[in-house]
Amino acid sequence: MKIAAALFVILGLAGCVVPPKAKDFTAFNAAAPRSILVVPLVNKSLDVDAPNYMLSTLSVPLAERGYYVFPVNTAKVVLEQEGFYEGEQVHSQSPGALAKLFGADAVLYVTINRWDAQYIVFSTTVTVQFDYRMVAKDGTEIWTATQQLQYSPQQSNSGSPLGNLIAAAITAAMTRAAPNYLPLAQQANTLVLLDGPQALPPGPYRIAAP
Amino acid sequence: MNRTCVIAAMATVLLLSGCASRGNRLYDWGGYDDLLYQQYKDPSKAPEMRAKLEAHVATLESSKQRVPPGVYAELGTLHLQANDRAKAIDFYHREQDAWPESAGLMKAMIASLERRGPSDEVAK
Repeated sequence: MKIAAALFVILGLAGCVVPPKAKDFTAFNAAAPRSILVVPLVNKSLDVDAPNYMLSTLSVPLAERGYYVFPVNTAKVVLEQEGFYEGEQVHSQSPGALAKLFGADAVLYVTINRWDAQYIVFSTTVTVQFDYRMVAKDGTEIWTATQQLQYSPQQSNSGSPLGNLIAAAITAAMTRAAPNYLPLAQQANTLVLLDGPQALPPGPYRIAAP
Repeated sequence: MNRTCVIAAMATVLLLSGCASRGNRLYDWGGYDDLLYQQYKDPSKAPEMRAKLEAHVATLESSKQRVPPGVYAELGTLHLQANDRAKAIDFYHREQDAWPESAGLMKAMIASLERRGPSDEVAK
């Protein structure tokens, strides 16, 4: 009885110290994609511009990782000619059919969960959150990731309380007028695709690079 | 002494920024992502994007650097949207020659453009 209890404790502790599971790249490596089609995004935020803005940030990191990336705007135009204007329509198509239409080895689906700015008195917090999902041309899911990032502009200290308050109000007003999401989106992509623990394995052009 | 400190600090900054710089990049994008963003933000900037990207491609070609994946094709599409079908076909060919992975899509797009008569309206 005591032994059982002790074992429980040990198991419980061991459970605590198990490191986050390393990403399993078996399916990805089996598919070994050379080319990736980035399709228009699904938008769950309230910002109607977010999908196009986010779309413009994905080609560079993917290509720099060593993959051929289909031209995102050309792909968007082609899909629109096929009658698909919304990301939801595209995401509900069979990945195999999409991959075949473009001759792609894999399709990358990105969903925007958050793309917003919250105002609390004199400060603003800008938040982005994305789900990334890659599916091989045979329909197998080969990679997924989620990334959230937040940014609150730092205030500079003017030395006087009133000065600080005015500076904070001005910063908040400017952020409110034009929240700058792009650097956050780019940073999220870099973390997810290039640097983080879930990052994509290097693609053929990265491997071949001198 | 002060000057030495400043020089040392500057050297450190240079070194650090050197580490963080894009030395590890595969391609020179010429601001492609930013141009695309600007064009989504304000569609009237499409001609500007086309001109800048085309100039960048010319620079890369004259210095024998590789044009990044998709850039020739994006230029083709920008020309197509400006109703210049011949240039669109030309750029699609160049994408296909530069990147074998694009061949299926580029062949289909070129064939579709060549099937249309010269007086057809080009889909926007």
